[in-house]
Amino acid sequence: MYFNLLQLKKTLEEANILICFNGPFSQSIIEELGNAVRRYLSNDQMESAVLMDVFSVYIEQTQNIRNYARRREALGDKNPAYEMATVLIGRDGDRHIVASGNTVHADDAAALAATIDELNGLDRQELRARFKEQSRKPASNEVGRGAGLGLIDIARKTSGPIQHMMHPLSEQHVFFQIIAAI
Amino acid sequence: MNNYYVEPRKSSPEVNFDASTGVLRLTGESYPENTFDFYAPLLAWLQEFLDTTSLPVRLVLQLSYINTGTVKCLLDLFDLLEEAAGNGRNVGIAWYYDPANERALETGEEFAEDLKVPFELIGEKF
Repeated sequence: MYFNLLQLKKTLEEANILICFNGPFSQSIIEELGNAVRRYLSNDQMESAVLMDVFSVYIEQTQNIRNYARRREALGDKNPAYEMATVLIGRDGDRHIVASGNTVHADDAAALAATIDELNGLDRQELRARFKEQSRKPASNEVGRGAGLGLIDIARKTSGPIQHMMHPLSEQHVFFQIIAAI
Repeated sequence: MNNYYVEPRKSSPEVNFDASTGVLRLTGESYPENTFDFYAPLLAWLQEFLDTTSLPVRLVLQLSYINTGTVKCLLDLFDLLEEAAGNGRNVGIAWYYDPANERALETGEEFAEDLKVPFELIGEKF
Protein backbone atom coordinates (compact mmCIF):
# COMPACT_ATOMS: atom_id res chain seq x y z
CA MET A 1 0.00 0.00 0.00
CA TYR A 2 1.21 3.46 -0.82
CA PHE A 3 0.35 6.73 0.91
CA ASN A 4 1.29 10.07 -0.52
CA LEU A 5 1.26 12.20 2.61
CA LEU A 6 2.73 15.14 0.78
CA GLN A 7 -0.24 15.07 -1.55
CA LEU A 8 -2.57 14.93 1.45
CA LYS A 9 -0.75 17.84 3.06
CA LYS A 10 -1.02 19.88 -0.14
CA THR A 11 -4.71 19.06 -0.52
CA LEU A 12 -5.38 20.22 3.05
CA GLU A 13 -3.33 23.37 2.64
CA GLU A 14 -4.96 24.27 -0.66
CA ALA A 15 -8.34 23.98 1.05
CA ASN A 16 -7.05 26.29 3.84
CA ILE A 17 -7.45 23.53 6.40
CA LEU A 18 -5.08 24.20 9.27
CA ILE A 19 -5.95 21.45 11.67
CA CYS A 20 -7.57 18.17 10.78
CA PHE A 21 -8.42 15.04 12.71
CA ASN A 22 -9.96 11.80 11.54
CA GLY A 23 -10.25 8.79 13.77
CA PRO A 24 -11.52 7.45 17.09
CA PHE A 25 -12.36 10.39 19.28
CA SER A 26 -12.08 10.89 23.04
CA GLN A 27 -12.23 13.69 25.60
CA SER A 28 -8.41 13.74 25.82
CA ILE A 29 -8.16 14.19 22.05
CA ILE A 30 -10.77 16.98 22.28
CA GLU A 31 -8.55 18.69 24.89
CA GLU A 32 -5.29 18.28 22.95
CA LEU A 33 -6.76 19.35 19.64
CA GLY A 34 -8.42 22.25 21.47
CA ASN A 35 -4.97 23.33 22.67
CA ALA A 36 -3.71 23.26 19.11
CA VAL A 37 -6.69 25.32 17.96
CA ARG A 38 -6.03 27.95 20.60
CA ARG A 39 -2.30 28.04 19.92
CA TYR A 40 -2.93 28.55 16.24
CA LEU A 41 -5.55 31.23 16.86
CA SER A 42 -3.52 33.16 19.40
CA ASN A 43 -0.68 33.41 16.85
CA ASP A 44 -3.16 34.84 14.43
CA GLN A 45 -3.45 38.25 16.16
CA MET A 46 -7.20 37.86 16.36
CA GLU A 47 -9.65 39.43 18.73
CA SER A 48 -10.06 37.39 21.89
CA ALA A 49 -13.85 37.24 21.38
CA VAL A 50 -13.37 35.55 17.99
CA LEU A 51 -10.80 33.17 19.45
CA MET A 52 -13.21 32.20 22.22
CA ASP A 53 -16.05 31.76 19.73
CA VAL A 54 -14.00 29.46 17.48
CA PHE A 55 -12.86 27.45 20.49
CA SER A 56 -16.35 27.11 21.91
CA VAL A 57 -17.90 26.12 18.57
CA TYR A 58 -15.18 23.47 18.33
CA ILE A 59 -15.88 22.22 21.89
CA GLU A 60 -19.66 22.12 21.39
CA GLN A 61 -19.40 20.28 18.07
CA THR A 62 -16.98 17.68 19.36
CA GLN A 63 -18.72 17.12 22.69
CA ASN A 64 -22.01 16.70 20.81
CA ILE A 65 -20.37 13.87 18.86
CA ARG A 66 -19.11 12.23 22.06
CA ASN A 67 -22.50 12.62 23.75
CA TYR A 68 -24.20 11.10 20.71
CA ALA A 69 -21.99 8.00 20.90
CA ARG A 70 -22.85 7.61 24.60
CA ARG A 71 -26.54 8.07 23.91
CA ARG A 72 -26.60 5.41 21.19
CA GLU A 73 -24.67 3.06 23.47
CA ALA A 74 -27.22 3.64 26.25
CA LEU A 75 -29.92 2.66 23.72
CA GLY A 76 -28.10 -0.65 23.22
CA ASP A 77 -26.53 0.46 19.94
CA LYS A 78 -22.81 0.32 20.65
CA ASN A 79 -20.96 0.77 17.38
CA PRO A 80 -17.32 1.76 16.87
CA ALA A 81 -18.47 3.96 13.99
CA TYR A 82 -20.07 6.37 16.51
CA GLU A 83 -16.71 6.77 18.25
CA MET A 84 -15.15 8.15 15.09
CA ALA A 85 -15.12 11.80 14.14
CA THR A 86 -13.77 13.93 11.36
CA VAL A 87 -12.97 17.44 12.55
CA LEU A 88 -11.32 20.31 10.80
CA ILE A 89 -10.45 23.90 11.55
CA GLY A 90 -9.69 26.15 8.65
CA ARG A 91 -10.18 29.44 6.99
CA ASP A 92 -12.52 30.77 4.35
CA GLY A 93 -11.38 34.27 3.45
CA ASP A 94 -11.45 36.28 6.67
CA ARG A 95 -13.68 33.80 8.46
CA HIS A 96 -12.73 30.78 10.52
CA ILE A 97 -14.31 27.44 9.77
CA VAL A 98 -15.10 24.72 12.30
CA ALA A 99 -16.45 21.60 10.63
CA SER A 100 -17.17 18.13 11.92
CA GLY A 101 -18.74 14.95 10.68
CA ASN A 102 -19.77 11.70 12.30
CA THR A 103 -21.87 8.62 11.73
CA VAL A 104 -25.46 9.14 12.78
CA HIS A 105 -28.29 6.60 12.86
CA ALA A 106 -30.79 7.24 10.07
CA ASP A 107 -33.56 7.52 12.70
CA ASP A 108 -31.87 10.59 14.20
CA ALA A 109 -30.56 12.36 11.13
CA ALA A 110 -33.76 14.04 9.91
CA ALA A 111 -34.53 15.43 13.36
CA LEU A 112 -31.00 16.80 13.67
CA ALA A 113 -31.27 18.48 10.26
CA ALA A 114 -34.66 19.94 11.21
CA THR A 115 -33.26 21.33 14.48
CA ILE A 116 -30.41 23.04 12.65
CA ASP A 117 -32.75 24.44 9.99
CA GLU A 118 -35.02 25.82 12.66
CA LEU A 119 -32.12 27.49 14.50
CA ASN A 120 -30.88 28.91 11.19
CA GLY A 121 -34.22 30.72 10.88
CA LEU A 122 -33.82 32.59 14.18
CA ASP A 123 -32.16 35.98 14.57
CA ARG A 124 -29.66 36.91 17.32
CA GLN A 125 -32.30 37.97 19.84
CA GLU A 126 -34.41 34.88 19.21
CA LEU A 127 -31.36 32.63 19.62
CA ARG A 128 -30.49 34.37 22.87
CA ALA A 129 -34.06 33.84 24.11
CA ARG A 130 -34.02 30.20 22.93
CA PHE A 131 -30.75 29.57 24.76
CA LYS A 132 -32.17 31.00 27.95
CA GLU A 133 -35.43 29.08 27.64
CA GLN A 134 -33.61 25.79 27.00
CA SER A 135 -31.16 26.40 29.84
CA ARG A 136 -34.07 26.69 32.29
CA LYS A 137 -35.58 23.34 31.31
CA PRO A 138 -34.97 20.53 33.79
CA ALA A 139 -32.01 18.39 32.73
CA SER A 140 -32.82 15.08 31.09
CA ASN A 141 -31.72 11.96 32.95
CA GLU A 142 -31.03 10.21 29.67
CA VAL A 143 -27.37 9.26 29.21
CA GLY A 144 -25.62 11.51 26.71
CA ARG A 145 -28.59 13.84 26.32
CA GLY A 146 -26.64 16.86 27.57
CA ALA A 147 -28.27 20.21 28.19
CA GLY A 148 -29.58 20.59 24.63
CA LEU A 149 -27.72 23.90 24.40
CA GLY A 150 -24.78 23.02 22.15
CA LEU A 151 -26.38 23.63 18.76
CA ILE A 152 -28.08 26.82 19.97
CA ASP A 153 -24.72 28.08 21.21
CA ILE A 154 -23.07 27.19 17.88
CA ALA A 155 -25.85 29.05 16.03
CA ARG A 156 -25.30 32.11 18.23
CA LYS A 157 -21.61 32.20 17.37
CA THR A 158 -21.86 31.36 13.69
CA SER A 159 -22.12 34.10 11.12
CA GLY A 160 -24.73 33.01 8.62
CA PRO A 161 -26.46 29.64 8.73
CA ILE A 162 -24.90 26.44 10.08
CA GLN A 163 -24.44 24.34 6.97
CA HIS A 164 -25.31 20.70 7.19
CA MET A 165 -25.19 17.80 4.79
CA MET A 166 -25.99 14.10 4.96
CA HIS A 167 -24.17 11.42 3.03
CA PRO A 168 -25.89 8.00 3.09
CA LEU A 169 -23.60 5.23 4.33
CA SER A 170 -26.10 2.36 4.51
CA GLU A 171 -29.80 1.89 5.17
CA GLN A 172 -29.10 2.38 8.86
CA HIS A 173 -26.55 5.16 8.89
CA VAL A 174 -25.62 8.48 7.40
CA PHE A 175 -22.47 10.55 7.67
CA PHE A 176 -23.69 13.89 9.02
CA GLN A 177 -21.48 16.93 8.61
CA ILE A 178 -21.89 20.45 9.87
CA ILE A 179 -19.89 23.53 8.98
CA ALA A 180 -19.86 26.70 11.05
CA ALA A 181 -18.15 29.90 9.91
CA ILE A 182 -17.06 32.39 12.59
CA MET B 1 -18.99 19.75 57.76
CA ASN B 2 -15.77 18.89 55.90
CA ASN B 3 -14.33 21.02 53.16
CA TYR B 4 -14.90 20.01 49.55
CA TYR B 5 -11.92 20.11 47.23
CA VAL B 6 -11.31 18.95 43.65
CA GLU B 7 -7.98 19.45 41.93
CA PRO B 8 -7.97 21.39 38.68
CA ARG B 9 -7.60 19.51 35.41
CA LYS B 10 -7.30 20.70 31.85
CA SER B 11 -11.04 20.68 31.26
CA SER B 12 -12.37 21.04 34.78
CA PRO B 13 -11.87 23.76 37.37
CA GLU B 14 -10.38 23.66 40.83
CA VAL B 15 -13.25 23.45 43.29
CA ASN B 16 -12.59 24.72 46.77
CA PHE B 17 -15.40 24.91 49.29
CA ASP B 18 -14.28 26.10 52.72
CA ALA B 19 -16.93 24.89 55.16
CA SER B 20 -15.65 27.18 57.91
CA THR B 21 -16.20 30.37 55.87
CA GLY B 22 -18.91 29.30 53.40
CA VAL B 23 -16.79 30.42 50.44
CA LEU B 24 -17.12 28.17 47.38
CA ARG B 25 -14.56 28.99 44.73
CA LEU B 26 -14.36 27.57 41.19
CA THR B 27 -11.22 28.50 39.26
CA GLY B 28 -10.11 27.53 35.77
CA GLU B 29 -11.95 26.24 32.72
CA SER B 30 -14.96 23.99 32.66
CA TYR B 31 -15.75 21.61 29.80
CA PRO B 32 -15.44 18.15 31.37
CA GLU B 33 -16.58 15.15 29.37
CA ASN B 34 -19.61 14.42 31.55
CA THR B 35 -20.38 17.84 32.88
CA PHE B 36 -23.37 16.71 34.95
CA ASP B 37 -21.33 13.95 36.62
CA PHE B 38 -18.65 16.48 37.51
CA TYR B 39 -21.09 18.92 39.13
CA ALA B 40 -23.51 16.46 40.78
CA PRO B 41 -21.36 15.86 43.91
CA LEU B 42 -20.81 19.60 44.31
CA LEU B 43 -24.56 20.27 44.08
CA ALA B 44 -25.19 17.56 46.68
CA TRP B 45 -22.47 19.00 48.91
CA LEU B 46 -23.88 22.54 48.67
CA GLN B 47 -27.39 21.25 49.40
CA GLU B 48 -26.12 19.51 52.53
CA PHE B 49 -24.21 22.61 53.61
CA LEU B 50 -27.36 24.72 53.23
CA ASP B 51 -29.46 22.16 55.10
CA THR B 52 -27.11 21.70 58.05
CA THR B 53 -25.51 25.12 58.64
CA SER B 54 -26.65 28.71 58.72
CA LEU B 55 -23.41 30.39 57.57
CA PRO B 56 -23.45 32.92 54.74
CA VAL B 57 -22.45 31.42 51.37
CA ARG B 58 -20.34 33.21 48.82
CA LEU B 59 -19.90 31.58 45.40
CA VAL B 60 -16.78 32.91 43.69
CA LEU B 61 -16.56 31.99 39.99
CA GLN B 62 -13.26 32.52 38.20
CA LEU B 63 -13.96 30.64 34.99
CA SER B 64 -12.28 31.75 31.80
CA TYR B 65 -14.17 29.28 29.60
CA ILE B 66 -17.31 27.23 30.22
CA ASN B 67 -19.15 24.88 27.89
CA THR B 68 -22.93 24.87 27.62
CA GLY B 69 -23.26 21.89 29.97
CA THR B 70 -21.49 23.95 32.62
CA VAL B 71 -23.92 26.84 32.03
CA LYS B 72 -26.72 24.45 32.95
CA CYS B 73 -24.90 23.18 36.05
CA LEU B 74 -24.12 26.69 37.28
CA LEU B 75 -27.82 27.59 36.91
CA ASP B 76 -28.59 24.60 39.14
CA LEU B 77 -26.10 25.92 41.72
CA PHE B 78 -27.70 29.38 41.50
CA ASP B 79 -31.16 27.82 42.04
CA LEU B 80 -30.00 26.32 45.34
CA LEU B 81 -28.62 29.68 46.42
CA GLU B 82 -31.77 31.55 45.39
CA GLU B 83 -33.88 29.15 47.37
CA ALA B 84 -31.61 29.58 50.40
CA ALA B 85 -31.76 33.37 50.04
CA GLY B 86 -35.57 33.11 49.95
CA ASN B 87 -35.33 31.33 53.32
CA GLY B 88 -33.34 34.22 54.76
CA ARG B 89 -29.78 33.00 54.12
CA ASN B 90 -27.08 35.55 53.37
CA VAL B 91 -25.75 34.54 49.93
CA GLY B 92 -23.78 36.24 47.18
CA ILE B 93 -22.19 35.36 43.86
CA ALA B 94 -19.09 36.96 42.34
CA TRP B 95 -18.32 36.44 38.63
CA TYR B 96 -14.73 37.30 37.75
CA TYR B 97 -13.78 37.93 34.15
CA ASP B 98 -10.61 38.97 32.38
CA PRO B 99 -11.36 42.45 30.97
CA ALA B 100 -9.73 41.28 27.70
CA ASN B 101 -12.29 38.45 27.42
CA GLU B 102 -15.59 40.08 26.46
CA ARG B 103 -17.36 36.73 26.08
CA ALA B 104 -16.75 35.98 29.76
CA LEU B 105 -18.32 39.34 30.65
CA GLU B 106 -21.36 38.63 28.43
CA THR B 107 -21.83 35.22 30.03
CA GLY B 108 -21.78 36.85 33.47
CA GLU B 109 -24.27 39.51 32.35
CA GLU B 110 -26.67 36.88 31.05
CA PHE B 111 -26.50 35.04 34.37
CA ALA B 112 -27.08 38.27 36.30
CA GLU B 113 -30.27 39.12 34.35
CA ASP B 114 -32.37 36.39 35.91
CA LEU B 115 -31.01 36.35 39.44
CA LYS B 116 -32.39 37.92 42.57
CA VAL B 117 -29.36 37.14 44.77
CA PRO B 118 -26.55 39.72 44.66
CA PHE B 119 -24.36 38.97 41.63
CA GLU B 120 -21.17 40.99 41.30
CA LEU B 121 -19.33 41.27 37.98
CA ILE B 122 -15.65 41.83 38.68
CA GLY B 123 -13.35 42.71 35.80
CA GLU B 124 -10.02 41.47 37.07
CA LYS B 125 -7.46 38.98 35.82
CA PHE B 126 -7.18 35.84 37.92
